[in-house]
Amino acid sequence: MRGKSGVTHLLGTLGHPGTERTSRKGRSPAPPRPAPPRRGWDCGAARGGRGCPRGRGGAGRGLGRARGPEDPPAGRPAARRRLGRGGAGRGGRAGGPDVTGPSAPPRRGCCSRARERAPPPPPPPPPPGRERSARGHGLGPRGGGHAAEAAAHCQEGEELQLATRLRATSLKERKHFGGIFRDHVVDTRQYLEHVRESTTGTLGRPVKLFTNHFRVTSRPQQVTYKYNIDYMPDIEDGKVRSELLLQHKAFIGECHIFDGSSLLLPHKLLLPKTELVSLLKNQVVKLTIEFISELSPNSPDCLRYYNILFRRILKQMNLKQVGRNYYNKQEATEFFNHKLVIWPGYVTSILEYETSITLCADVNHKLLRMQTAYDLITGLRDPQTRKEDVEQVSKELIGSIVFTLYNNKTYRVDAINWEDNPRTKFKKSGGAEITFVDYYREQYNTEVTDLTQPLLISKGKWKKSQQDTPHKPIMLVPELCYLTGLSDKMRKDYRVMRDLALHMRLDPERRQHELRKLMNTIQTNREVQRELQLWDLKFDTNFVSFSGRILKEVRIFQGRRAFDSHPQFADWSRETRSGPLLNVKSLDHWLILYPTRNYGAASSLVQSLRKVTPTMGIAMREAKMLEVSDTVQSYTTVLENHVSSKTQMVLCVLSSEKKDLYDGIKQYLCVKCPTPSQCVVARTLDKPQTLMTIATKIAQQMNCKMGGALWKVETGLQNAMCIGIDCFHDIVNRRKSIAGFVSSINQELTQWFSQCIFQESGQELVNGLKTCLEAALKLWCKHNQFLPQAIIVYRDGVGDGQLQALMDHEVPQIESSLRSVYPKDSGVKLTFIVVKKRINTRFFVESQGRLQNPLPGTVIDVEVTKRQWYDFFIVSQSVKDGTVTPTHYNVIHDTVCFTPDRIQYLTYRLCHMYYNLPGVIRVPAPCHYAHKLAYLVGQSIHQEPHHSLASRLFYL
Amino acid sequence: MVDNCEEVPTKEVIEFRPPLYKQRYFFVKNLVQQHKPKKVADLGFGDATLIWMLKYHHCIEHLVGVDTYAGSTSQWEISNLSPSVGDYLVPRDLDLTITLYRGSAVQKDSRLVGFDLMTCIELIEHLDSEDLAKFPEVVFGYYSPRIIIISTPNSEFNPLFPASTFRHLDHKFEWNRMQFQTWASDVANLYNYSVEFTGVGSPPAGAEHVGYCTQIGVFQKNEAKATESCISTPEEHVYETVFTTAYPSLQEKKNLLLVLSAEVLRASNSMRLRFIVDPKKKVNGRLVPEDSCVPRYGLIVTDAQRAQIESSPKPYCVGKKFYVPLERLITFPKVNRLVDSVERLRSLLSEALKLNRDQSALQVDLHDHYSRTMLSY
Repeated sequence: MRGKSGVTHLLGTLGHPGTERTSRKGRSPAPPRPAPPRRGWDCGAARGGRGCPRGRGGAGRGLGRARGPEDPPAGRPAARRRLGRGGAGRGGRAGGPDVTGPSAPPRRGCCSRARERAPPPPPPPPPPGRERSARGHGLGPRGGGHAAEAAAHCQEGEELQLATRLRATSLKERKHFGGIFRDHVVDTRQYLEHVRESTTGTLGRPVKLFTNHFRVTSRPQQVTYKYNIDYMPDIEDGKVRSELLLQHKAFIGECHIFDGSSLLLPHKLLLPKTELVSLLKNQVVKLTIEFISELSPNSPDCLRYYNILFRRILKQMNLKQVGRNYYNKQEATEFFNHKLVIWPGYVTSILEYETSITLCADVNHKLLRMQTAYDLITGLRDPQTRKEDVEQVSKELIGSIVFTLYNNKTYRVDAINWEDNPRTKFKKSGGAEITFVDYYREQYNTEVTDLTQPLLISKGKWKKSQQDTPHKPIMLVPELCYLTGLSDKMRKDYRVMRDLALHMRLDPERRQHELRKLMNTIQTNREVQRELQLWDLKFDTNFVSFSGRILKEVRIFQGRRAFDSHPQFADWSRETRSGPLLNVKSLDHWLILYPTRNYGAASSLVQSLRKVTPTMGIAMREAKMLEVSDTVQSYTTVLENHVSSKTQMVLCVLSSEKKDLYDGIKQYLCVKCPTPSQCVVARTLDKPQTLMTIATKIAQQMNCKMGGALWKVETGLQNAMCIGIDCFHDIVNRRKSIAGFVSSINQELTQWFSQCIFQESGQELVNGLKTCLEAALKLWCKHNQFLPQAIIVYRDGVGDGQLQALMDHEVPQIESSLRSVYPKDSGVKLTFIVVKKRINTRFFVESQGRLQNPLPGTVIDVEVTKRQWYDFFIVSQSVKDGTVTPTHYNVIHDTVCFTPDRIQYLTYRLCHMYYNLPGVIRVPAPCHYAHKLAYLVGQSIHQEPHHSLASRLFYL
Repeated sequence: MVDNCEEVPTKEVIEFRPPLYKQRYFFVKNLVQQHKPKKVADLGFGDATLIWMLKYHHCIEHLVGVDTYAGSTSQWEISNLSPSVGDYLVPRDLDLTITLYRGSAVQKDSRLVGFDLMTCIELIEHLDSEDLAKFPEVVFGYYSPRIIIISTPNSEFNPLFPASTFRHLDHKFEWNRMQFQTWASDVANLYNYSVEFTGVGSPPAGAEHVGYCTQIGVFQKNEAKATESCISTPEEHVYETVFTTAYPSLQEKKNLLLVLSAEVLRASNSMRLRFIVDPKKKVNGRLVPEDSCVPRYGLIVTDAQRAQIESSPKPYCVGKKFYVPLERLITFPKVNRLVDSVERLRSLLSEALKLNRDQSALQVDLHDHYSRTMLSY
């Protein structure tokens, strides 16, 4: 089955958001993936390995920088983090006409603040040397990038009165720091005595690796001077701020870096405090330049400025900034038949690692869609009645990010106004009434052609800091709103995905080629060189290289049999189906529900199951076959009548991938009538040649859902409980966020206890942790007759900049819960590991003169790790095409005192324990279970699943 | 030199709605709408607001700004004058380049010769008498555009403001109507222009006699003769270019293909959905609709357009593929706007989309995810 894309596709179709997928051959080409809800501008697709735990290397990277909703870290609307950024995502100001009158409270942020940035995480202690916080996002947005947006606003309708822009804002709101920078100054290693000497392991065989980092070979060696710039009256817009400062270029000199509120100069100004006057239109703005501090060449703050400088350089190279990254429109690729355009681009960061400062550069893509919201609406109009499928349109549009051409902004669609149309009048902030048609004609010379279309309503951007301030909704005309990101529909279209993958999924060679191109341009572009020379910055043009280690392949135990995972493909699918499973549950009382017209599919499935189950050791009795019609109502009625306490499993054949049907069934069977269930879309059972494979997967999956186990691996752990945590943020409906909390029940780590925590959006996870942990310990104790001696937490779903918060809140919370459960002096140990999948670092090996992906099991704990952290990377999965994405692990708390070897060994082994895939996945199994759980609950059930299911993997 | 201080100090007395500076810009916009100039220059572009507003006009292909304080290159690079993502998604019909120069309206630069429209909004009052004397020779004599718009404060209006000084610190003079009109008429006569006077910012009730707050002179060159031929003046590049940018347009084939294929797919999609639900019959192995298969909404506005589509060849279906004859596609207004002949449509589409074997029709899948799951017909 390896490499048969047909199979994969079929399997893929199972992957309705939340539909169980029986399997996903990670390395088959371009399987359509389970679609996380459509997401934003930045291609929105899942990053490698979302539903597909295996990850798909470059794929992920390419197809979607945007986070899907399920992964974003706790407490921030991360799904959008990369979406509505920058060029697009700026500005909550009404681009479209404002529905409000003149008295409307000025919508915040005609500046980059309005962008969806992470809501301010719990304020970190100010890093040293930053008395007055810079407003800049280090890596980002603030700097020159937007400086000109202000101007845009000036002209934009009435709403832009000077007064609005000059409105004073409190400093507090500006304290947004680049998350990465914040994390990078958190020293977590200082408390870890046992790795004071070294965080490097020795196990495995050494391998020479390359990484997409370029060493900074030269940088300023002298002290630089940091100045704070104050504006009177205060200016909010970063672009305007920069513009106003640049009016005094002669004074500050050619060589300067401005981050929006502070200025870095290589020389000292004459006076510690200088007052200057700039003109904004005819308004006089007083600038006060005040000396803050000298920065030593080694100060981490310097790096922030270098990053700003580097962004300026990318701009000079004629790359177009969209959001926070830069794209090369000259090398655009058009997909005429999909109405798509892809711009290649780069994502870069300059940061300090183990031994040196490096520039990390990766290739990135921007997806532009030639499709408007209007196209979507009319596409869903019933061709006969002309009535829009209101429900369907809402489903597809609400929550999506649209891009309005005329002002280059993005908005989130929150509702659709079916009553009004473009002929409706609205009040401009000047007070005059005007129709939308006239407004766009007058303002932008743009004609609205369909006067009967509904209007879209955007409530403005969600920001944590403003969650209590009322927003006036903005109305938009669908015809002028371009859709962004990949839609579910596109994700389900394998042709789209195939074509995109081909372009965006770069293998190591191509990736290197692209990055070489970037470095060459930097070396040869005279303007760029001039700028760099001003600061004496130089970069190596070759990938950093060093030695990594490949861990031995892992032995899988399944019943009496044992076999090794395939060293290259990290897979044992063949082995696992050719013998009895580890722990078998017999199928005695079970139901199969099928729509009448899918009887064929249902019965052929039963026959196939009958064939495959004996080998696996599953005893299967006849299922009760029940006919239903295609509605939620029908399914639940039948279930109500037939599910009894004896029912072990319900298998539902679905005629199509209707989400509401799936959700309805799952809701019923997870909450009201807790029974393990398995859904299968009939179409997946169509092809006879793949039927056996699918039946095998389904049998295995059902076995897991009933509490069975497929295989185990040796982890070297004793009396330890593993916990995986991941979060799901329902951005679309702005519902609560859900954290999955999955803990092991037995020593062998084959049984898991799954709980979830509901939290208000933006809220930290802390509160629910205690309850979950106590319940988990109680259950473990019941099973093992004693409490575990060590707790190992793998925490996924942490956003940039939250590291300190974890140190300050989550870890102490867990410790205090432990203290309350355990007797004094119990000596219980805790290890807390932060898992990060979305990183830009990649690793390569050279073989036969070509760069290739490293083998599964490659561990990296030198060079690109950080001195202040006990961290390492593992490439655990195998990808067929594209570049594999390593996973980063950061041990921030460790009283178990794991040696690097032991923690790496354990972590890698845990990646073998995910029962939905006979292969190695990107993250430790508990993390992925937690992810699956949170996703199912967040996407489909929206309520806490019944506790009786909690000790089974019902969400697989 | 855009100043809107008229409305700043005098809130209680006079407030213009929309603000006066906007009224001036809208005045220019209307004139652009009316005359459809290709090459437009704004002398004294200030913060480039007018340039920004004018870039939305499809007729303009060259937009130039000149100002003595033209700011830095980087300032404009990041400004809204650069093409945005949206400009790539929906390219303009015609090319547009925007160029900003640093220089003065009393210096000659050959690059500004031969324009259709030049605007000097609130400019002349910033010129000292020496420069003002040179101004007509440069703008009217040398640049000699077809139309010139000059606006300047009307000092007769000033008593309505509380402050008794000039409206802006940098103003060298503020003329009453008589002064402006005399100057303007003299200049017009000298350089063979005709001039009409108007203004924006109507006076409040009871003070009608003072006239508009801003007075405007619109100058039109008299002879329609080709003056360009005689301007073989030597290249004189005095102005410093601070910013220049080119917009993507449909003149570039790549962009045309993208827009055309999107439009064609839009049209074929609407017909496809109709086709699926409409009654069909089998003719020569083809499934053809019994009705005309014209989408009922959106793409078509007038009855004439509808009739035209109806009379064109119908789409059909063979197997799982849906075919739309190019002759039908071209009847769709938005497609027709882009290409004028079936031959051209064919040659373009053959590069971008799938056509049937004899290249007479577009080929797409009959069913997509939506029609398969949602339309249960």
